[in-house]
Amino acid sequence: MTLLLKQLFALLRLLNSDTGTNQIAAGVACGLILGFAPMLSLQGLLVFLCMFLFRIQIGAALTSAVFFAMVAWLFDPVSHALGVAILETASLQPLFTTLYNLPLVPLTRFYNSVVMGAGVMSVLLAPLVFFGSKLLIALYREKVVARFKSSPVWKLWSGTTFFKWYSSYEKFHG
Amino acid sequence: MDKTTENKKPVKKQGPIRVEAVVPMLIVVGATVLYFSLFFDAHLRRGLEYGATQANGAEVNIGRLQTSVFKATVLIGDVQMTDPLQPLRNRVQIGEVRFGMLWDALLRGKVMIDEAMIEDVQIDTPRKQAGRVLPPPAPQSGPSASDKMLATMKEEFSGNVVGDLAAIAAGANPSEQLQQIGGDLKSDAYMAELQRSMDETEQQWKTRMAALPRGEDFGALRTRLSNVKVQDVKDVAQLQAAVKELQAIRDEFEAKSKPIVEAGTGLAGDLKGLQTSFAGLDDVVREDVRGLQARMKLPSLDAGNLSRALFGMDVLNKVQQARAYMEQARQYMPSKGKQADKPAPRNIHKGRDYAFGHPKGYPAFWLRRALVTSTLPGGKGLSGEIRDAATDQALVGRPMIATLKGDFPQQGVSGIKAELVVDHTKAEPVERMELSVARYGVAGRSLVNSPNVTLGFAQAVASASLTAELRGEQVKMQVSNQFRDVAFETTAQSTVVREMMQASLAGLKTVRMDAGVRGTWGDLDWNLSTNLGDALARGMKRYLQEKMDEARKRIQAQVDQRIAAQRQKLTARRNELESRLRSSLAEKQVQVDKLRADLEAARRDLEQRKNAATDAQKQKLKQDANQLLDKWRR
Repeated sequence: MTLLLKQLFALLRLLNSDTGTNQIAAGVACGLILGFAPMLSLQGLLVFLCMFLFRIQIGAALTSAVFFAMVAWLFDPVSHALGVAILETASLQPLFTTLYNLPLVPLTRFYNSVVMGAGVMSVLLAPLVFFGSKLLIALYREKVVARFKSSPVWKLWSGTTFFKWYSSYEKFHG
Repeated sequence: MDKTTENKKPVKKQGPIRVEAVVPMLIVVGATVLYFSLFFDAHLRRGLEYGATQANGAEVNIGRLQTSVFKATVLIGDVQMTDPLQPLRNRVQIGEVRFGMLWDALLRGKVMIDEAMIEDVQIDTPRKQAGRVLPPPAPQSGPSASDKMLATMKEEFSGNVVGDLAAIAAGANPSEQLQQIGGDLKSDAYMAELQRSMDETEQQWKTRMAALPRGEDFGALRTRLSNVKVQDVKDVAQLQAAVKELQAIRDEFEAKSKPIVEAGTGLAGDLKGLQTSFAGLDDVVREDVRGLQARMKLPSLDAGNLSRALFGMDVLNKVQQARAYMEQARQYMPSKGKQADKPAPRNIHKGRDYAFGHPKGYPAFWLRRALVTSTLPGGKGLSGEIRDAATDQALVGRPMIATLKGDFPQQGVSGIKAELVVDHTKAEPVERMELSVARYGVAGRSLVNSPNVTLGFAQAVASASLTAELRGEQVKMQVSNQFRDVAFETTAQSTVVREMMQASLAGLKTVRMDAGVRGTWGDLDWNLSTNLGDALARGMKRYLQEKMDEARKRIQAQVDQRIAAQRQKLTARRNELESRLRSSLAEKQVQVDKLRADLEAARRDLEQRKNAATDAQKQKLKQDANQLLDKWRR
């Protein structure tokens, strides 16, 4: 829980700073794939590994995963229809037969209509979400953060002893 | 140097790879290992218990469960499956189940068990505490035809025919209850309907009769006819004019008389319909009498009826069990045709699984062989084998075959032989079962339980056999039971009933029951016979036939009496309506016929005049020609 909260605070800090746009956007894109994939699946594990190994904002990934899981649930009928269409495509049958009988690949549950449909949708939407997130973060920093920092409330708050003490603490401990 | 620049720490440039994540990764891996070592078995045991409970319909307990991830082995011990009909007893209890799975298949997301051991199997064992019984699952989309069929059978078999007969023998007068029956006879409703139908018919015919041509219409035609100069025709022109007028009158007559002719045909049809409806009243009265007999629990003394009341529920339970197992087998091991059909998933969020297996591939689950053993002191016990239990039999290419033979001496059951074949390799699913039990003890088994009489086996030695073949929607089942050395247990408050039961059962030491069920799930044909039913029917007839006949006659008489007045009134009304309509139509018909005859006479008259005129002309021409010839000869 502490780790999770730490990640969420890190996300907020990063969101309100001038750096880490790519990390947050990549996190949101990973969250999309995680949210659209089944809870326990090979592809979910791979995305987790990527989040650990590469500099991807984990807080953003987990938050957006929860959000996209709800979106995916609402879109399950669409995913099912898309998955059925793909899995019943005659020209893809030999490919699916090979994949189905390969080690590890069936652990992705690609042979399930909802998993296949949602998987294809998430992979197609991931680049759009990545670039869209970058745009939204830039807009947020420009329109919301800058305006908030120039507001009297922030100025009043940043002038307090507690804020100064916290700023110096953060400088030393990060 | 600027103060702010001075305070800034040198920022270390970070690459895309998170090197510092190695430790958290190791922590995650460690936590996973720890979970599988400490908690996985308990969680899996709970999961299996839940799944098995859902499949069994009653609580299933697993005493212990051990897994080895590296060896892919599972050990399940002390499995207890509650009997849903007797929650204090286990349907099956298994000492230990051991099996290993192939990693090759597991890596492909499939479960392949080469050989499993199922040891120390027992049936009908007591439980420490009652198991939880699940409520029956709600139907997906209303009851199916087979559900309705089985519900009807259940209603029929659960009736207490023997108890009702005993009540009559004890002195209850069924016809006395007739006084309390309200005015909800079907005959009443039918007669009200007849009345309404007659009102409608009368109203329709009133309107129709008013629209028919009247006497003055035909009078005008008759006047026109009398003005036609048929007698005084002098030349061809007059003849032509008379014919033309006569044709016009005839056309008008035909137009006016047509509705009267049609009304005659229509009236005959309507009156015939009324007669048929009146005849139907007799059928409704018979139905009312039958209904009253059933409502007053006036049962039939037919042996078949008694046999169904005694053993019908037993057979029905077996049929329902067979259907429940069949449905599970067809759900978890779909036949080739079913897989191709791909029905819509019940839960859209779960989607639909596709199988892309190839001939040498693994199905999602395949238990190639399981050995069932239960060795007891004295060499007795149980042995059996389950072969090829697979989720895709078409892929495996072999049906599932389970065999079992042996004894359960602790439960007093011996000579069990069972063979189950589940063949879903082809489009049409087939399940076959043959089961025979050479000997089992029966004690305190109730057959009839009513306030007036109870009947059961105090003790008996029984044998049973069951043969079933379920092919697609077709059902073929044969159940036979034999109870030897039977000691009956019967109680009755009334001395007459006690005497009757004792007389019926005297000398009956062996009870046989044979039942056959055939047909489709929506339309099953039941055939059940037992010598106990025959004996009861024979014995009870002696005491009850006279009473029953009298009761039936009284019911018939009371129904007849109740509807007699209304029936008489309706019949009189029908006769009056019929005669009134017939007579008023007949008047018009007479006028039509008379005018038709006049027209015909006028036509014939004209015809004669035309022929006479032609003959006269011919004669004159002949005379003129002869005169001319004579002149020429001279």
